[in-house]
Amino acid sequence: MSDDVILEFKNVTKNFPGVTALKDVSFQIRRGEIHGICGENGAGKSTLVKILSGVYPSGSYEGEVIYNGQELKLESNAIHQATEEGIAIVYQELTLVPSMTVGENIYLGREPVERNVINWDKLYKDTELLLNKYHLDVHPQALVRQLGVGKMQMTEIAKALSEDAKILILDEPTSALAEAEIEQLMEILRGLKELGVTCIYISHRLEEFFHIADTITVLRDGKMIITQPTQNLTLEKLVQNMVGREMKERFPKGNRKPGEVILEVEDLHAINPDNKSIEVLKGVNFNLRKGEILGIAGLMGSGRTELVMTLFGEYGKITQGKVKLEGQELNIHNSRQAVQHGISLVPEDRKRHGLVLMQSILRNISLANLDQFASFFRIDGYHELRESLTYAKSLAIKAPDLNAPADSLSGGNQQKVVISKWLMSKPKVLIMDDPTRGIDVGTKYEIYRIMNDLSENGIAIIMISSDLEEVLGMSDRVMVMHEDQSVCTLDIAEATQERIMALATGLVSN
Amino acid sequence: MSASTTNLSPKNSSAASVITKQLRANLQTYALILALIVIWIIFDITTGGLYLSAQNFSNLFRQMTVTAFLSVGMVLVIVTGGIDLSVGRLAGWVSVWVAYFQANIWNHVLPEQQVLTTILSVLVGLGIGTIYGIVQGYIIAYLNVTAFIVTLGSMWILNGLILIRTGGKTIPANQPLFSKIGQGYLPDWAGWILAGLVVLLLFYMMFSSRRRKVKFGFEVPSFTLDLAKTIFFSLLVVGFVFYVNQYSGVSNPVLILAVFAVIVSYVSNNTRFGRYAYAIGGNREAARLSGININKNIFMIFVLMGFLCGVSGIVMASYLGYGTIAAGTGYELYAIAACILGGTSTLGGVGTISGAMIGALVLASLTNGLQIMNVASSWQYVLNGVVLVVAVLADVYLKKNR
Repeated sequence: MSDDVILEFKNVTKNFPGVTALKDVSFQIRRGEIHGICGENGAGKSTLVKILSGVYPSGSYEGEVIYNGQELKLESNAIHQATEEGIAIVYQELTLVPSMTVGENIYLGREPVERNVINWDKLYKDTELLLNKYHLDVHPQALVRQLGVGKMQMTEIAKALSEDAKILILDEPTSALAEAEIEQLMEILRGLKELGVTCIYISHRLEEFFHIADTITVLRDGKMIITQPTQNLTLEKLVQNMVGREMKERFPKGNRKPGEVILEVEDLHAINPDNKSIEVLKGVNFNLRKGEILGIAGLMGSGRTELVMTLFGEYGKITQGKVKLEGQELNIHNSRQAVQHGISLVPEDRKRHGLVLMQSILRNISLANLDQFASFFRIDGYHELRESLTYAKSLAIKAPDLNAPADSLSGGNQQKVVISKWLMSKPKVLIMDDPTRGIDVGTKYEIYRIMNDLSENGIAIIMISSDLEEVLGMSDRVMVMHEDQSVCTLDIAEATQERIMALATGLVSN
Repeated sequence: MSASTTNLSPKNSSAASVITKQLRANLQTYALILALIVIWIIFDITTGGLYLSAQNFSNLFRQMTVTAFLSVGMVLVIVTGGIDLSVGRLAGWVSVWVAYFQANIWNHVLPEQQVLTTILSVLVGLGIGTIYGIVQGYIIAYLNVTAFIVTLGSMWILNGLILIRTGGKTIPANQPLFSKIGQGYLPDWAGWILAGLVVLLLFYMMFSSRRRKVKFGFEVPSFTLDLAKTIFFSLLVVGFVFYVNQYSGVSNPVLILAVFAVIVSYVSNNTRFGRYAYAIGGNREAARLSGININKNIFMIFVLMGFLCGVSGIVMASYLGYGTIAAGTGYELYAIAACILGGTSTLGGVGTISGAMIGALVLASLTNGLQIMNVASSWQYVLNGVVLVVAVLADVYLKKNR
């Protein structure tokens, strides 16, 4: 590894309407090194990657990206250009075709052709040479669908490298891998380093940087905070730099007085319903009080959404442990039962799981609650309309009228429709998975106020959030999850961003 | 709650803007009706006035009924994202069994008991259709096999079963009272009473809807507009009865179709079952996470489809007077095409029974006209196909430019 700089960001700024994704970011990446980039959700990591890969061509951002001594100008057909320049990316979501072989995937779109017919021999020979060159232990003719995640990733890496990549960017490469596979990946990266390939490694799993990275850069709120050789850093320093910022007046003051315990979850274990050998919850313990907001924090992949979907009856198969509501043990197998017991869930992905976008606001709000205005023979349309109007107004949904289709609304208003739907079901426990994700600041505040009102009226709220400030600003207590387990539940008084981060990354366990 | 504070409730606007708004929302339906009228006029000209004669007009409506029953059920099937390719042959299967029972069983067990055997025939037909619907629905909804595959397989199975049951011969089903179901007409006075009842119902609905809006504090649309609409539809009904009475009166199958179409339409618009169907078709995952029992609802929809195949098969057997080997072949295509013409989307979540009825009427009008003009059936097929593709193209084009 030389001091020769292969890539440099100089005062790179990228703005979107209403938000600055990158602000005056400057740092260098040396040729042949493994450079780690870390930061919270929204810090700017994926924006950087998109600039390098051509998704945001030059001209859509300010500042310069210097590649191999020259300014990187990706213009027409930018993504293709980036690949030709030798910049390759392996994304978190694998982009392979499961029904094709490794070789077919690697050369997809660039198959060697002889007289208008694919030359399969050459294709597989080339594949074998490629895999050997980079020490990737996967069979060229294996069907991707039959490979484990680790080998699928190797295929992705091979695909990226097959275009003679000089820089390989890996976005969250280990979030889906098991221990042994992570070790394999580390070996591969070390091998790549010896072949002179520069790697940019983006991850939430901070410990990994200390095994593999030469330099680490920390981003926060779109700014470059520090960029240092790994030996000068410690895990604590990383965490500190990732979070350290002041809390502004983003959160309305609540007047909550949490009462008695309403929900108890004891040593909950669950398996994946589609693949019984995978355990998706490995021991979750917590309780929830009436009128309380319990924040659930944790990194992506720590099992938070799996936990609440399982409590809602729509995901994991419970193998061990108990869930008790008001002292009664629950056996919930589907969402209908959950709702009947008084548990409602505002899902993480409002478009895919929360709304029927083509239908009107009215129909969306009433969908889970038709039993309230229906006999066997008919739905009382006016009753439905009046009730839905009540909720729509109390949540201040902005729309011309309730018959407007849900997909004509802004993200914030769509989220309010989903919340209205679940409020109408009159829950005792309301679970909200990342309720303010992708919503503008003003509407976020309105949702926080709604949450305060609800809890002041005795509803117990579980709020999953990846935004630490939000967790600290809204919760009475914070439960932190790490690798499908609940690690610790903190009272808000003893919760700090650093402490939560440390628990979430596995640095400490209490 | 006063009207002025409800800024989210349905607005009161000028008559013109309300009409334009409704036109735009239902563009496809109105375009279809326009196309229907154009087709009628063209055929009337090319057949020298024969086409729109009272007799043919009456025949036209009767001709559409057998496949229209299938369309009534098909709308909900397609809305939930499924398809049923077996409906034609299932209706045929029902007609064969109804004929079989009449020719071989009632004859011997209950001779001369016309009313009883007619009732039993109907029960047998409905029963067979419904039971088949239960089996098919179970496999599709609970065993999770794709509807396309299951109903395709059904189609073949039924093909073979019909051949087996009929032994390669047609079976007569011509018990006189039973034949009245498919071939009979309402006496003129009965037709008038019916028209009168429908008109009364329309007016009652208008007034009661206005009253409820006031009671709940919503803005009430202009009285003149409501009145105009109600009078318009009343005239349509009265006009229809008047015209068909010039020939033989309202034909029984048309009456039966009207009843079922209205019932299923009501169910799909006003019951939870209907709502859930549209939600499942619109976004299955969101529907599931809203507490809707997906399996049960899809199952029920296929049971309903089977029941309606039963109705279709009974009318078919009654009208033809036979259970034939080829009974129902190809009807599924007409049923599906009628739904699509009428605005049902193959992607699910959208579609109305009334639209499908107009679509069925369009297809029947084409077939009827071409028959009168002695056009070979090969060309009829070509035209039907062209009409379907053009209609969908037009719809896609209109949606893009809205």
